[in-house]
Amino acid sequence: MAIGTDRYASRADTLLFLACVGLSIAALSLPPQWREPLANGLQQSVLAPFIVLQRQTELLTAARLRYDNVVAQRDSAALAAAFLPELRSENARLRELLGLSAKLGSGYVSAEILHQPEPTNPLSFLVSAGRREGVRPLSAVVSPEGLVGLVASVGEHSSVVLSWAHPEFRASAIAQDGSVVGIAAPHGAEGPGVWLLELQGVLYRQRVPNGTVIVTSGLGGVFPRGIPIGVVVDTAGEEKGWGRTYLVRPAIHPAQLSHVMILTTPRPAGADLRNAFTVPQDSALTGEVPPE
Amino acid sequence: MRRTDRYRYPVIMTILVLLHFTVRSHLGDDRVAPDFLLLALLIYTIRAEPGKSAAAGFIIGLLRDALTPVSFGAGALAHTLVGFFSSWAKAVFFAEHVFVKFCLFFAGTWIRNLIVLLVSGKLQSSQVAWELLVWSPLQGVTTALVGISVLWFFRGWLSPRRAGAGLGVST
Repeated sequence: MAIGTDRYASRADTLLFLACVGLSIAALSLPPQWREPLANGLQQSVLAPFIVLQRQTELLTAARLRYDNVVAQRDSAALAAAFLPELRSENARLRELLGLSAKLGSGYVSAEILHQPEPTNPLSFLVSAGRREGVRPLSAVVSPEGLVGLVASVGEHSSVVLSWAHPEFRASAIAQDGSVVGIAAPHGAEGPGVWLLELQGVLYRQRVPNGTVIVTSGLGGVFPRGIPIGVVVDTAGEEKGWGRTYLVRPAIHPAQLSHVMILTTPRPAGADLRNAFTVPQDSALTGEVPPE
Repeated sequence: MRRTDRYRYPVIMTILVLLHFTVRSHLGDDRVAPDFLLLALLIYTIRAEPGKSAAAGFIIGLLRDALTPVSFGAGALAHTLVGFFSSWAKAVFFAEHVFVKFCLFFAGTWIRNLIVLLVSGKLQSSQVAWELLVWSPLQGVTTALVGISVLWFFRGWLSPRRAGAGLGVST
């Protein structure tokens, strides 16, 4: 290998150069039907390892891109899955509300629970329906499972609802089969008992088995007859020897709710809404005698 | 002369060829990405004789034409001319200077593209001005930059041998 200006003087170099130029021109003038076989031959022989290498590199790059996409999709799916149970639950509740609305026919307003109006009073909450929507004070507030509470005050487009856990809540109640009559009231003002109801004023001689479904009786004109209140779970005590009090597990806990229905139109006398609501699951326990 | 000297050039050429078929497609637009094959040829021509440079250019060009058979032969002719005249120019304007080498790589790339355009009959296209005034210079710059980097990185391997150390040295 020569280094320096004199290396260009080589005749062999010139001849080799001219030969290469000649071959290049010959390649240029090849007819298309000869070019392709020649190109294919080179691709399948000398260039084959390089083509394979290039293909593998492209595959590797594509695989990496796909991996990034898969990771991104997995993250999105995981994020969506985190909200899935909540969405399913809300969807189920809305479906139940739709079912209830179909059974109720007319005379109701759907409302969304907005938030608790007073931090010191968690037993009442605000709903997104008011006077303009036809809501009036003392309207019954229900869910597909049963009684939620009643409207305490009404605003233009919102209302304050007292849930059944509020100390001032009272409802005339009756066993589903009509055998027992009493007053449904909150069991306690604080502590765990606040989330239970009690059936007061039951005649001493009347036994109410565990699992008995308690519904509104329709007396008093506030609540229509037949709205499930809850299920008897135990006896709470005796009242001065003439009556019994039973613990009732409510049909629905206010914390489970996102939407409610407010009954706006007074039902005709004798109207029974019992068939419109979901039967509490513990009704299967009907017939059990509470332990003495 | 060390015993490993004879392997250094093939190693660098192999690296450049591998880079061409693996890395180049990830370096952006094909019209701008550095041409490692041409760079390997140009680096080879720095020390090779013009005849061998022309032959190497012909082989590289023919192989490239095999990948794009539409203008079969154009690449062979372009690389042959660039290889030969690069080697000739390096012999005439011999200078171990970075700028000279940069110009050699840049001009080699641009002239190669010009010849391919001329020979393949694409000069009538409206894109030819863009090709010659924008894309080719950009590719020339990227190729030259990579070439300078390679020469700097392998400066211990590619530095010219002293007089009398190699074969065919004339003073």
